[in-house]
Amino acid sequence: MTQTRSRRAGPDPSGLYLPRTARVVRAENLTRQDRLIEIALPEGQALGHRPGQFVQVSLLGYGEAPISVSSGPQQTGSFELCVRRLGNVTTALHALQPGDPVGIRGPFGNGFPMDHLVGRDCLVVAGGIGLAPLRSVIHSILARRERYGRLIVLHGARREEDILFRDEIAEWQQDPRNEVLLTVDEPTPGWKGRVGVITTLFPEIEVDPANLVVVAMVGPPVMYRFVILELRGLGIKNDQMFMSLERRMKCGVGKCGHCQIDGRCVCVDGPVFSGTEIMAMHEAI
Amino acid sequence: MNAYFLPRDRVDELVGRLLRAAEVIAPKRVETGDVFYSPVSSPGEVAWDYKTAVEPLKRFLLPQQETVLRFSTGEKLRVEPVLEEKDRIFLAVRNCDVTGVNVLDAMFGGEIEDPYYMARRRRATFISLACLEADEQCFCVCGDAGPFLKNGYDQQWTPLAEGMLIEVGSDKGQALADAHQDLLSPAEPDQVAEKLQLAKRAEETFGEFRSYIAAAMRRLTLAETPDEVWERLADHCVECGGCTFLCPTCSCFTVTDRLEGDGGVRERHWDACLYNCYAREASGHNPRAEHSQRLRARFFHKLSHQWAQRNGRHACVGCGRCVVGCQAWAHMSAATEAIRRG
Repeated sequence: MTQTRSRRAGPDPSGLYLPRTARVVRAENLTRQDRLIEIALPEGQALGHRPGQFVQVSLLGYGEAPISVSSGPQQTGSFELCVRRLGNVTTALHALQPGDPVGIRGPFGNGFPMDHLVGRDCLVVAGGIGLAPLRSVIHSILARRERYGRLIVLHGARREEDILFRDEIAEWQQDPRNEVLLTVDEPTPGWKGRVGVITTLFPEIEVDPANLVVVAMVGPPVMYRFVILELRGLGIKNDQMFMSLERRMKCGVGKCGHCQIDGRCVCVDGPVFSGTEIMAMHEAI
Repeated sequence: MNAYFLPRDRVDELVGRLLRAAEVIAPKRVETGDVFYSPVSSPGEVAWDYKTAVEPLKRFLLPQQETVLRFSTGEKLRVEPVLEEKDRIFLAVRNCDVTGVNVLDAMFGGEIEDPYYMARRRRATFISLACLEADEQCFCVCGDAGPFLKNGYDQQWTPLAEGMLIEVGSDKGQALADAHQDLLSPAEPDQVAEKLQLAKRAEETFGEFRSYIAAAMRRLTLAETPDEVWERLADHCVECGGCTFLCPTCSCFTVTDRLEGDGGVRERHWDACLYNCYAREASGHNPRAEHSQRLRARFFHKLSHQWAQRNGRHACVGCGRCVVGCQAWAHMSAATEAIRRG
């Protein structure tokens, strides 16, 4: 299995570090710390991303941050980012209102191997804000539902109020070909679902390992280690798993050095790596 | 490639012509006796008898701090013009440093070109001066980067008894030779033989520092180095980052925004992978929280086959600046010895 290795550097290579001035179309809080920001590029330009790719978001005077695209490639005219408030840039991003300018570079990175999913079942494992980039995969599957097999989504959040895209999850569950299982670490009064870390969901699913691809997995590093063990228990091989890694990045184009893992740069060689690749990298997870 | 001879009494004439054609960066002695690569304005300023320069050529292609963008608080973005409109000739620079530039080229060129680096690089010509005698910290013979090179330079000059042997290594170097044919004559076989003799003698002048690069490459590539090696190096290293700033091939940078007047600038600065904050993410998660992990990452980038394959060669040129700069005992020579012993 070979993964698409894209090294696209945006539409204008001479402007490698020059952001395009985009506009905020819509912004809404999803949780107390996560905000969904819909952005339109100038003159109706399409972002042209693949699920799993990211953009470098600039707020001049604050800096730049790499953020995964949360909407599917089928959405044209605008795209969405789900931003957690953590550092200087993301805190400033949370203050943006419709009409405000925002700088965009990219899309960067390789993205998930969507062609490989065609005709197969897909298991999505999303820990916390990991659902944001994986929503792009899910939207991509839902937009052409007939091309794909079953879609199983496992999502774990700290508390019920931290679960992202709750209205959408309810919609996904309408289709009998989709299954969504949720769990929380800390149940609040009234929570009727499952309790525990994301691996507690695995005994509840039945999969055919021969026809399954795990595009999944975005979450905290500790999650990967335990989820990989569960997947092995289900008979899923390393080259059937794809996971996106998070690293500090400055340039997004393989020059600044920050996101190196062993011989690779997460920004151009990743952020999506197969289980086989992850196992060969000393400090990946 | 062609070789020429430049008689001793015509060297200053040729340097004078280079000074009229371009900015010339050459070894220049400062009051303390140290030599720095600096712009020169007359042939007499060139320190032909130097051994090594304190700093490599990196800062001329990748400045320690440079403006990437200038922005106004309005909505229009504009790019600061960074294209250097002048040609630069790097004269009498050392072969280890020229090799260092070749490593930087692999990092900043390739499929995605860094426009700022490449703008400077395209207008640069490198005339190296082969070393007849190693300095005490040198180990370029271990790094496959000197004292004499077979390629990688535009021109390589060797000081013979009667003048300079000039070997051409690129189209740029040939064009420069063609432009000054009147001062040059084709090299005679005995002049080439004299150079080979000097090269052989130069290799016998190396001192105590060496670097077992092949052995270290194999162990790093195959992940055979026990964690204790890095922990021991971490006991020595004081995380000053000096080795990275002095290294001809260390090129990591960070990017910051700074407000200025009614707008601001986006700048990039050298960064060092040995710093704790280098890989720390906004969430607080640090994939290399341990000092030993950072040392491993640095030497892995320098010497692993994974990176050598990407860059065309490993990234140590044996200039020995990390040996001079290291306040402890965690430089390349010490590290490769530790890796080799396991």
